[in-house]
Amino acid sequence: MKKILIIAALILGISVPTLQAEEVRVSASVNKNTAQVGEEIRLNIRVNGQAMNLQAPRLPKLDGFDAYYTGRASHIAFVNGVSSSNVEFSYTLIPQRAGHCVLGPFEIPVGQSMLSTEAVTLDITGGQAQPASPQVPTQPLPVNAPMPPQAPQDETVSVSPGTDDNIFVQATVDRTTLYQNQQMLLTYSLYTRYDTRYEGFEKEPETSGFWIEEFPMDREVPRENVRMNGKRYIRADVKKLALFPTAPGNYTIQPGSLKVSIREEPQGNNAFDEFFSDSFFTGGSFFARRQNKLLNPPPIQLVVKPLPENGKPAGFQGAVGSFRLSASVDKDKVKQNEPVTLKMVIEGEGNIETITRPKIPALTGFKTYDADTNSKLYQTENVVGGTKSFETVFIPKEEGSSFIPPLEFSYFDPRQEKYVTLQTPNFPITVEHSEQAFQMPKELSGNSIFQKKVKSEGQDIRYIDERLPEVFQAGIVDKIYKILAGVDLLLGVLLLILWMKDRQDRLFSKDTALRRRKTARSAASASMHKLKRLARSSKDQDVAAFFVELEKAMTHYVADKWDLSAYGVTRQDLESTLTAHFGAGDAHLKDVFELYRLCDESRFGKGSIPQASKKIGLKIFQDTVNRIERMRR
Amino acid sequence: MKRIAGFLLIALCLVPSFCTAADAAKLFEDANTSYRTGDYAKAAGLYESLIEKTPRVAAFHYDLANAYVRLGKYSQAILSYEKALRLDPRNADIRENLRHTQGLLEYRVEDSRNWYLKATEAVLKYATEREIYVGVLSVLFVFLLGGILYFLRGRGVFWNPWQRFVFFVLLLVVLVGVGKQVQSNVIRDAIVMQKECEARFGPSEHDQVAFKMGEGIKVFVVDRREDWSRVLLTNGESGWVRESDIAEVKV
Repeated sequence: MKKILIIAALILGISVPTLQAEEVRVSASVNKNTAQVGEEIRLNIRVNGQAMNLQAPRLPKLDGFDAYYTGRASHIAFVNGVSSSNVEFSYTLIPQRAGHCVLGPFEIPVGQSMLSTEAVTLDITGGQAQPASPQVPTQPLPVNAPMPPQAPQDETVSVSPGTDDNIFVQATVDRTTLYQNQQMLLTYSLYTRYDTRYEGFEKEPETSGFWIEEFPMDREVPRENVRMNGKRYIRADVKKLALFPTAPGNYTIQPGSLKVSIREEPQGNNAFDEFFSDSFFTGGSFFARRQNKLLNPPPIQLVVKPLPENGKPAGFQGAVGSFRLSASVDKDKVKQNEPVTLKMVIEGEGNIETITRPKIPALTGFKTYDADTNSKLYQTENVVGGTKSFETVFIPKEEGSSFIPPLEFSYFDPRQEKYVTLQTPNFPITVEHSEQAFQMPKELSGNSIFQKKVKSEGQDIRYIDERLPEVFQAGIVDKIYKILAGVDLLLGVLLLILWMKDRQDRLFSKDTALRRRKTARSAASASMHKLKRLARSSKDQDVAAFFVELEKAMTHYVADKWDLSAYGVTRQDLESTLTAHFGAGDAHLKDVFELYRLCDESRFGKGSIPQASKKIGLKIFQDTVNRIERMRR
Repeated sequence: MKRIAGFLLIALCLVPSFCTAADAAKLFEDANTSYRTGDYAKAAGLYESLIEKTPRVAAFHYDLANAYVRLGKYSQAILSYEKALRLDPRNADIRENLRHTQGLLEYRVEDSRNWYLKATEAVLKYATEREIYVGVLSVLFVFLLGGILYFLRGRGVFWNPWQRFVFFVLLLVVLVGVGKQVQSNVIRDAIVMQKECEARFGPSEHDQVAFKMGEGIKVFVVDRREDWSRVLLTNGESGWVRESDIAEVKV
């Protein structure tokens, strides 16, 4: 809220230029006029008046002093509608030799003119300088933190040509020759003479072939003043890695590149630029102009030696470092088939994650199961270490006095350059008799870790088949196949017949004349059977019945064939129809007419008709049907 | 023992060509005993006798193949395993032993066929030819019965959803049946029987050698010319080999 008000006030101040112009004045002051060699002195150059868009003045070379620009501060005030402002530039001076000094006057460019401050006098005394905490940059390395009281140390470092020697990163290792799986510390130290912010890694280091543990860094990174190549730097260790080489050989670590941003000098020409680059907000860094830089430390060459073969214990499994071993059992008196849990704890410095379970020798009196494994890692100072515990369940099979034999753990100590073997104590166990047969304890059976895995021990063909079931099965399938084939054939034929009949029925239902024509022969055949039966009879009354049936069959047949009404048809209709198809002079037609006459005679009883006439009548009917059927085709 | 006697009794009824159930049982038991005692050559001979009399029993081919494996005759073993699989395609022991024996061969052929060809082969090999035909006839039976019932009942719609479904299934099983027919009788499997076999670009000794393969390799016979066969491998290679170098998987 305060910031908003100030911004609004500033806007108001710019848009409504009351501009009660005030004379610009410059002044210089120090926080102390007497100091010892190496003790920090704060120099402030103050500009009062309407001169907001100022650049930080560059100090002239001060003989006998190291000087650093450490920031600026602006102040604006409105009193009774009148605004006033001042800008203060701060510098840190570190005297290099004793004596009386006069600094300045300092010239400040304000607008087109050059203003001068008054001179500042200092008395520098000799003797050991007290540890000093120089004023840190406005927004220095990761966060603001008190500088450790430490005297600057002069060191020598080579900076790659073409790079800015005011800021660089050193990636250093604590050793360049080490053993396989031995810890090596890789430290990234940032050296800067700027107001710098560490932004993290732009490119991570390439450390293939190494097991890596990163040290957690404090939120407030400790810094110290150091002197290098005659220059004074602020140094901060920004990253620390513990590396464990997994195999021997020559390695080159590419340290990657770090991203930092450094604060630029205010370059703006307006009040906004100056305002936002001021230290008013979050120490001046939030809106300050910053320039990103990538810092690339040079590669690091390493030689990883193999672990010596000489004196390597049989149970050695690759642990390197310095460890301690302790062990305990949860009980020393149990019943048969009751579990005893042995807990082994390995603790020390080294790559704790690569430590494997000590081998358990084959025990005749126990069943053994590997149980839980827990590990805890910790970093102390520059060393990685931790604890790892292994639990093993022993189930005694026989009663009596027994013991869990010592278990061995071996490691290589790189400091002493020799192998060390540790042993667990010998744990005596008293096993009481129990009738209960062995079974997986309830507390273990639910945990699959206790179950031994089924695994293939070898490969071979499976055994021969000594049974003869296929004879039976093959026969059944064959029989089913044959039966099904036969049944399907029959069903297929039946379905075809039913389909044809259905099709015929559908046709007949649409065309009655066709149905009568198609069924006339079958009806005539049915009548034929009846007529034959009557013809075989020798009774007189059957003669009349025969001819009545014969006339009816003949009339129905002819009527069906030519779609005449079977009941309303007259003799004349029949004769004309038959004459039209047989021809007027056809001999068989005469026989048909004669047959009809005979039928009339039989019906009306004009004299007796001989039995032999029945056969003649039947033959005429058959001939008529056959002839008409041939005609229709 | 009762079980074996029961099986043999049924076998006697169902397979009249079998000399006698007792003879077969005796022969089979003798072969198994020979195998158990490590006399694999004798066991193989006895199994061969059984197969000669009753060729359509998968167990005989399987046991014979096992005896061949013990004798180191891998090509003959693979041929017998393949025959056993033809008769009993879902037998896990046969498949496993075939896989194991193939792993003992000097040559190996990558299967670079498309996935759908592999899947089709796997489906078709899941059942015997006769089993698939029984399936086809069973579905046909249901379809015909449905049609007959329709005409006998004289009402309803012939092409109803049920009949359509059955017809669809019928088409499907017919398709499978046709596929099986093609697999068994058109694309014929064969096994390379020679220790080393040369496949040529043409059916003569004058043609250049296309590739070489060893015993036990499975090939597909796609053409025949006099005493030469054109074979196709699962890796796509194709060449002509002498018929005497290969043996067809035929039961």
